[in-house]
This record gives sequence, structure tokens and C-alpha cells, in this order.
Amino acid sequence: MNFFSLISIEIKKIRRSKIFLILLAPVILMWLPAIINSGKLTKIQDISILPAHNFFIQGFMGMVWFMIPATLIICTVLLTQTERLNHSILKMLSLPVNSGLLCLAKFTVLLILPAIQMFLSIGVYYLSAYISSRMQEYDFVLPLSYSLPAIGKFYLAALPAAAVFWMISTLIQTPIFSAGLSLAACVPSVLMINTDYWCLHPMSYPFYVLMIEYGKAAKGVYETSIDWLPWIPAAIIITGVCLIVSCAKFGYKERK
Amino acid sequence: MNIIETNHLTKAYGSFTAVSDLNLHIRKGAVYGFLGPNGAGKSTTMKMFLGLTKPTDGAFHIDKKRFPQNRTAILKKIGSFIESPAFYGNLTGQENLDIIRKILGLPKESTADALELTGLAPVKDRLARKYSLGMKQRLGLAGALIGRPPILILDEPTNGLDPVGIHEIRSLIRSLPEKYDCTVLVSSHLLSEIELMADDIGILNHGHLLFEGSLHDLKSQAHDAGFPVDNLEETFLAMVEEDNRRRSK
Amino acid sequence: MVPKIEYKKLKRTGYVPAFLLAALLAGAFPVVNMAVRKESFLSLGGEPLSVLLNANWQMMAMLNILLIVCGACMMYHTEYTDNGMQKMELLPVRQTSLFLGKFLIASIMTAVMLSIEFSVLAGCAVYWFSDSRLNPMILICHLSFSFIMLLPTIILMLLIAQAFRNMWISLGIGVILVFTFSILPQEQLFFALCPFSAPYQLLDNVHADGHVGLFLEIAALETLLFALTEFICLKIRRNFS
Repeated sequence: MNFFSLISIEIKKIRRSKIFLILLAPVILMWLPAIINSGKLTKIQDISILPAHNFFIQGFMGMVWFMIPATLIICTVLLTQTERLNHSILKMLSLPVNSGLLCLAKFTVLLILPAIQMFLSIGVYYLSAYISSRMQEYDFVLPLSYSLPAIGKFYLAALPAAAVFWMISTLIQTPIFSAGLSLAACVPSVLMINTDYWCLHPMSYPFYVLMIEYGKAAKGVYETSIDWLPWIPAAIIITGVCLIVSCAKFGYKERK
Repeated sequence: MNIIETNHLTKAYGSFTAVSDLNLHIRKGAVYGFLGPNGAGKSTTMKMFLGLTKPTDGAFHIDKKRFPQNRTAILKKIGSFIESPAFYGNLTGQENLDIIRKILGLPKESTADALELTGLAPVKDRLARKYSLGMKQRLGLAGALIGRPPILILDEPTNGLDPVGIHEIRSLIRSLPEKYDCTVLVSSHLLSEIELMADDIGILNHGHLLFEGSLHDLKSQAHDAGFPVDNLEETFLAMVEEDNRRRSK
Repeated sequence: MVPKIEYKKLKRTGYVPAFLLAALLAGAFPVVNMAVRKESFLSLGGEPLSVLLNANWQMMAMLNILLIVCGACMMYHTEYTDNGMQKMELLPVRQTSLFLGKFLIASIMTAVMLSIEFSVLAGCAVYWFSDSRLNPMILICHLSFSFIMLLPTIILMLLIAQAFRNMWISLGIGVILVFTFSILPQEQLFFALCPFSAPYQLLDNVHADGHVGLFLEIAALETLLFALTEFICLKIRRNFS
């Protein structure tokens, strides 16, 4: 049984779950106000930033601060609930497949779903940038060479948080408790990125990366370069520990 | 030759002992009927055989292999059906079986074969959530039979089926060792049912093994002990009652 | 009787502890904020309670709303997992009163949660702004206003949670709503009046704009409207399922 066919099985399991709509809805809802407000951006602002950059960053701000982590949490609930709803986890554990590997396959699916959302958001971004450009007669469209790396970075920065949420969901069996705890953990991101301890709070990583982009586009708003050093090791350690714990504890309650 | 053997197998949850000092001997190629009232420890024993729960004491081997060292090797050989049926409600019957088939690395035809064996072929494209109780039960059975594994562990497989269904499944189980070389461990709380299917019988009550042997042995042993033997169901009830009485003292 | 039954169903689901935990978590915001950045707040002047609310209420309100989303999902999750709902439909009790029972319990728990949060805020005001004399009436006014602002959100979320069997869908919709309303421009009156958005409003600011009556009326209206929607939904469901 190789890992890739396990992943394809895991994807099959979430058929008819309507998760695609849940992924799409926030992307569209996020850009509607951006289009409506696009007129304000072309007027003079107190901070010096190109309207096109401002459009991109303001649009992604809500996404990165709250919606990416929240999507991860909802997908976590989806993945754990499909397995528990009709005791199918029991069947899985009595099949010849390593439970740690099964856990990793599920985690991979957890990463694939927000990746789909990222692709959707690229599409919706360009669509709304195009519409706004027509409305305001100003070119809001940024080149792919800017948007793709930026969105890619937001996504990568969200991975440690995904590992944390996944660990919480394997440790806390009551789905609503694990989801609630994870959601509550996202709330203080705005506070955290202004402290020195933001490295220890994975839910604020994507927001931090966005703020760096903001800082690059508008001088004086935030720092302009990423503090790689305490961050990357911290992120790797957090991700690693969370994955090890979740693989070790996966299905432990069913195996008592 | 015994394909499954347990040696003083014990499972305790805190102060409650679900399975106590169990010594089972399951012959290769036989249908072994595992009999006992609800809560006697049948499911727990079966779960231990599948590595779903760890024994607190004692040991067992399946085809000379042990948990957890040979977990994958053991599970490859066992088709199982435990407790209430386990399935994905958002998938059709066929999709559910396809998942199991892929994990077991079986050819495509085995899904159709399992559907055919359990009589689910006409409803294979319906969502499992919308199945009737009997269909869910059959889906669980199909998930055990898929790929025709050499060992089958079936926990109360006829629960929730109608009389026709019960008869079908019983005959199916009875015929399996002849159809292809396999060993079946099947549990039930009805002696009349086990009587029709099993070659050997193990009777469990409160985690203790009251009897193990063939149907014939059971009759003669019961006769010697002064239990009624005209009706086997009564024999079984008398044995359990006697055991309960002894236990409550 | 019905609320009692509904309360019983929540035993061991962690519903009540979740609210208490959230209250403490939300209460931690002003405490930590004051402990870390005391000077910047003390120098602001004005009513201590207003200073504290202005600094912390956005976060606290968001936690409260998230908890209401989770709480509603939890209530209906226990109904749906083992088909408890089906049994309820077969008993001689009105579906609508079961729904209202749930609403009542969620409201009571929200009130308890808010009381804890405002007690913490009052504590902060007395401890750090030691010269102030806290007026309990003002505190109660703030508390009641925040409570009433949450009512439409509570009932709407229960409406969503009962409509979907799969929890990730109700949770997903709830979270998306929380998110959408948090990025909509709050300074526009229309958006500010919506459920999921009204709970961020502060009595002081609303009072300054002279909109207190409007906010209260709209909240009451929304609550009634969602209750009515739920009754219609239940009727339709009964006829078609």
C-alpha cells in the first residue's frame, strides 16, 4: 500500500461532503467588499501605497488573518467526522495499513483542501481586480510574478498551524471542543504579531507574512523583511512535534 | 492444527474484567461458533484478535503470528466484521468496498464478487447512509468477505437481518470453508444459530470460557452435568444460569 | 419542562464548561492588555470601562460569537449523531418548543459568560484605574446591551445548526459568517445592525450616535424574524421528509 494511493483513498472518502462550497464561499465573500470599496483606494491615502498593492493586501487581509486558519479547522472537522460518524475508523484500524501512515495521508488531504482554496482565491482575485479596473479606470491587476509567490507564501506559512489543529483534533475527541479551541487560538493573531513571541503562535504566521508584504508595499507600516532566524526553526519544531504526537495518538481511543 | 490459539488471554478495564483467562483453540478450516449472552466478552476477544485493543495479560497467536510485531501480516489475512457496521455514509456501497479493496491491494473484480456474495449488487450505487439496517449489515459482511481472506472474524453477523436474510447469511457462512479454504470465527448469542453453522463451539459468560468443543461433546458434557439436553438452547441457558448463580455467591 | 430536558441533553458534552472557559479566555484579554501596556491606557482618560471596552471588546466579542457558533453546532450535533432528533420527533412534544428551549439555554449561558467577562472588566477598572468609582448601573447597562446584541446571532446560528446534519457544514457557514461580517465596514449602519456584526458594537459609541433605540429594536425584530423562520422551516420539514 503506497502513500499516494492512501491519499487518493482519503480524497475519495470526502465525496459529496459539500466541502468545495465551503472553500469557495469565503473567497467570493472576501472579494465582494474589495470590489465595492475599490473606489476609495484610488483616492489619496495617508499612507503611501500603490492602489493596486493596497487592493491586493486589503483583500487578502481577512483571508490570511482568519479565513485560512478557519478553513483548516473546518476541514479538520470534516476529516475526523467522516471517519467517526459511522464507526468507519474501526474498519480502517482493522485493515492492514499503518495507522501513522493513515494519519499522515489524512493530514495531506488537510493540506490539499486549502491549497484548492488558494487557487480559487487567485482566480477570484484576478476576476475582481479586472472588474474593479473597469469600474475605476485604474489598473488594479498585479502581475502573476507578484501574486503567485505572495499567495504561495501565505499558504506555506499556514502549514504549522495545520499541524497544530490536526494534533488538537486527534487529542480532543469531541469535535466541537477541538474546533472551538482551535478557533479561539486564532483570535489573538492581531495582538501576537506585534509582540516578540509571534514565533510561538503558528496561527499568526500567515498574517505575519502578509504584514511583511504590506510593509514592503507601504513604507513604515510594518517591517519589510522576514525574521527568518527564530521563525523557521520554531515552525519546523512545532510542525514536527505536532505531527509526531498526532501520528502516535491517532485512533488511540478506538483501540483502548 | 489450530490457526488461532489464545493462552490465558485477559482484558480488564479498570476493575471490570471483560475477558478472563481465556484459552481458545480454533482449528484451521473450521467454523468456530463463539457463543455467549450480551456483554460476555465476545466482542472484546475479537477486537483483541484484530489489534483494536491490547490484552492486559496472556497472549495469542494467529497463524503463528503475533501483535504488534506482525500486525500488517495478520490483518492481511483477516476479513472482519465488528460490532455495528462501520461505513462511510456519504459513499455508495460500492465506493465503500472499493476503499477497502484498494487498501488490501485486491483486483477490481473482488468488489463485484463481495457484492454478489452478500446480495448487495442491485443496490450497490445507493448511498450507504440510505441503506436499511439489513443492507448496512450486509455491507459490513461484504467488507469482511472481500478478497476471500483465509480467516474471517464475524461479530454477530445476522443481527438486524430478516428471517430470509438470516438464513442466507447462515448458509453462506456454513458454505465458506468448502467454497474456498478458510477459517471462520463467528459470534452469536443464539445457540440455535451457532448450531446450524459451527463445527466447534466456545461458550463464554462474564469473560470466562464455560465450554469448548464440538456439538457432540457439548451434549454429552451437559448430560453428565445434569443439564437438559433435548433442546440445546435450554442447555445453553441452564449452563449460563448455573454459572451466574455460582458467580453471585 | 422543555428547557430542563434540553439542559439534560447537554450533560457531559462540555457545553457549560465551554462557555465558562471562553469567558475566562475573553476575560484574559483586558487583564493581559492592562498588565502589559498599562501606561498607554491610563493616559487615555475618560471612563475606565469605556477605555477598557474600546481596547478589548473587538477580540472579546469575536470570541463570544465564535463560542455561540460552536455552542449551536454542539447542541445539534448531540441531536444528530445517534439519531436523538428522530426520537424527539416521535414524542408528544412540539419541535418549536424544543427549539425555543435550546435558545433559552444558549441565551442563559451567554448571559453567564457576559457577566463573567464584565466582572473581569470591572475588576480591571477598579484595580488599575484605582481612582475611579465604578457605577454598577452603567456596568449593567453595558452588559444588557451586549447581551441583547448577541440574541439574533444566537438564534440565527441555532437555525443554521438545525438545518444541516453534517456538523462541518453548519460550523463552516457559521465561521464564514463570522469572518464576512468582521471584514464588512462596521461604520456603515446597515452592516452594523446585522447579526454577527452587532455584537461588536459598544453602548458608548451607539449612544453617541443616538442609535440605541434603533439597535435594540432591530435586534428584537431580527430575533423574532429568525424564530419565525425556524417555525416555518420545521413545518416544511415535517411535510416533506
